[in-house]
Amino acid sequence: MIPMRGSNDEKLDALFRAFAACPTPEPSANFMPTLWQKIESRQTFTFSFRRMANAFAAAAVALTLALSVYMYVPHAAPAPSLSYLDMLAEAHPIVTPDLASPTQLELTESGR
Amino acid sequence: MLVDFAVIKSAQSGDSVAFNEIVLAYRKRILGHISHLIARTEDVEDVAQEVFVRMYYSLDQLRSAEVFEPWLYTLTKNAAYDYLRKQKRRQEFRMSDLSEQQVTMADAVAGGKAEQEERYHKTIRESVDALLGAVSEADRILLMLKEVEGLSLKELEKIYKVNENALKVRLFRARQRVLKAFGAAEKKEDAG
Repeated sequence: MIPMRGSNDEKLDALFRAFAACPTPEPSANFMPTLWQKIESRQTFTFSFRRMANAFAAAAVALTLALSVYMYVPHAAPAPSLSYLDMLAEAHPIVTPDLASPTQLELTESGR
Repeated sequence: MLVDFAVIKSAQSGDSVAFNEIVLAYRKRILGHISHLIARTEDVEDVAQEVFVRMYYSLDQLRSAEVFEPWLYTLTKNAAYDYLRKQKRRQEFRMSDLSEQQVTMADAVAGGKAEQEERYHKTIRESVDALLGAVSEADRILLMLKEVEGLSLKELEKIYKVNENALKVRLFRARQRVLKAFGAAEKKEDAG
């Protein structure tokens, strides 16, 4: 029994001693099977996580390779022989009526 | 050492029979340590299994079989710490509870001997658990390792990898906090 006399220091020591003397719980009959179940379930999780991570890593490497090949292979482009403005004009032909061009008035005889 | 170094080395190389041998040799000791660190008997086995699961997955990190026991102690301490942190329903330190427990302790004299003993141990565990609510989980574990498990400062140095003086300061502060809580509970009991 814990002594109820003495300083708090002594009482606390006595309480800790009584706590240390409490019986240790015995392992249950299921201790080992449950332990192995826990180990295996964690192994499955780790394995599937690793597999997923590997798949992602492989996909990332493949994509990087594909992009770098695409970037480094020279594309067949015609050598520019025209000036920049000519090329621009060729690339964007004006389909709308040219409002800026001078209007041509047809003067008929009757209009005179 | 409860097992030969050769068994530990075999387990390190993936021998599950050797691993089983280690668990069988150490499980009782680990259950004892954990019961002092967490005080809740119903969760002790669960935390002990967690220690061995961690051991299974980190045995390859063990530098040498000679340091197996302090290493296993570190795993136990860490698993108990994680449990205490995760435990949501850990009651806040309530002095009224403690006073009641101390009163129950005196009342436990009546009744059958086995029943009486069981009730007495339960009350002791609950009293200690309530008192240790006054300190952090980390300090609680340190205090239990020193005061209840009886580890020396040298052994604690190996586990915590900090110098003796730092440990002494932490232990002193933790004990002072627990003492303060103990005193407050005593006062409350006397008043009631």
